[in-house]
Amino acid sequence: MNKLIPSLELGAQIQMVVAVIFGILIISSVIFSAWKKLKPGAFIEELVVRLKSWWVICFVFLFAALAGPMTTCIGLGVLSFFALRELYTHLKLRDSDRSILLVCYLCIPVQYYFAYKGWYNLFMSFLPVFMFISIPFLLVMTGDTKDIVRSMGLMPSSLMLGIFGISHMAMLVCYPALNENADVGKGLLLYLIFLTQINDVMQFTFGKLFGKHKIMPKVSPNKTWEGFIGGLVATTVIGYYMGFLTPLHSWQLIVVSFTVALFGFIGDAIVSAIKRDFGVKDMGDAIPGHGGYLDRIDSLTTSASPFFHIVYLMILI
Amino acid sequence: MKKFLLILVHSILWRRIFKFLIGLRYYNRDVLRSKKQYILIANHNSHLDSMAIMSAIPMNNVRRVHPIAAEDFFGKNAIKKFLLIHFVNAVLIPRRRAKTEGESDPIEMMSKLLRNGDSIILYPEGTRGEPGVMQEFKKGLALLIQMHPEIDVIPIYIEGLHRTMPKGVSLILPYNCKMYIGNPISFHSYNLEDILSVAENSIIGAKPKPD
Repeated sequence: MNKLIPSLELGAQIQMVVAVIFGILIISSVIFSAWKKLKPGAFIEELVVRLKSWWVICFVFLFAALAGPMTTCIGLGVLSFFALRELYTHLKLRDSDRSILLVCYLCIPVQYYFAYKGWYNLFMSFLPVFMFISIPFLLVMTGDTKDIVRSMGLMPSSLMLGIFGISHMAMLVCYPALNENADVGKGLLLYLIFLTQINDVMQFTFGKLFGKHKIMPKVSPNKTWEGFIGGLVATTVIGYYMGFLTPLHSWQLIVVSFTVALFGFIGDAIVSAIKRDFGVKDMGDAIPGHGGYLDRIDSLTTSASPFFHIVYLMILI
Repeated sequence: MKKFLLILVHSILWRRIFKFLIGLRYYNRDVLRSKKQYILIANHNSHLDSMAIMSAIPMNNVRRVHPIAAEDFFGKNAIKKFLLIHFVNAVLIPRRRAKTEGESDPIEMMSKLLRNGDSIILYPEGTRGEPGVMQEFKKGLALLIQMHPEIDVIPIYIEGLHRTMPKGVSLILPYNCKMYIGNPISFHSYNLEDILSVAENSIIGAKPKPD
């Protein structure tokens, strides 16, 4: 138990952000329930369902992020597992790929173990180097070459989407050089999650309010230039003022939060296109109002690793 | 002891495994909570079907629900048989009806369970078929319903479990699967053919149409 929750004593900055997050949730709940009373409709009904899920997501995520490195690694590992499972449900892989799929699932504990230990080189190379070579070879060993190219491409790439990106969040709190001073990693992790999710909300809000010109009408009709730019600017501004969570300076904060917003949008767009190809509206129905796990963490899968590496370059070099 | 073991295994193992590891989601499960005795009929594509349906049943009713399995298939292996009877609460029946006196008759065995107040899980297709393709239903179901018109028949449509553990494969892999539980069927005619066609349509109809 001591290892799972070493201490819940948090720095003043983190406490403040946690208070801000719950403040936002409480205020939105009050506004939405008033709105629902005054002007009932399908749109507000959906927003209320979404907000309820946000409460659960915030509790679970904050606990997993702040309780300690081991809890963070286990929690994110479970999240990776759910994401991979959701992806494989739609992928229509061959029956002969089943045993290699097991290998893909087993990559989760290995990758998060490397993250927990803070072994940077193994962590960085395990999936993109070793697994990208091993999995195609294992597929060859099954002896079934019909449509093998498809599996060779899909299975290693699924690991990047489901495990690699998300595991960088675990690395933030486990990397030794980042965590010499207590709470730096936790602060950065909280900063990343908060910005990515705020970016989603901001793009949604700006898109609903001012959206006219579609960016990718064939992929996702909801994404507009107004929403994208509004979200980008708003997230960068918010990121700048949230900088007290990080050891970064002013211009660094602008670069980092801009990157998070941009790459968050990219992940969102990629998962949208994947869903379009699968012919589904959502990847699953695990989170009421949001869809599946991948629908919620789509932007984190692509924003976490760029964030980690930019911060790494700024702080540690 | 048997009862205790079953409830323990059921509550600790099946439900957790199916919900968190395999990713099974139940729809309309309240139907099973509100009724005490029923005949559950489902499509059959995987060995996991019985355990999956058992995992949906409320804990206080578990020991009174019996999946029906074919004796000639599962009875051969002593370990399999033991596990099925003690951990899944299954009842093994012969596939053919009794021809001579003293032989055990499958319909009579199931009917006896129902008379005792127990519930059964039945796969009217008789065997695991191609996913998504319903095979012709066996007549046994209709005979049973004719004998016990007072018992609720609840259709269940299971989707996706055939990928978790396909026919002829022993490696179980997680996939998101769904179990749609329908409302009790009301039969208007107790004619043999009518019962079978209504039952088949109800199983297919348990899955909501995409809008």
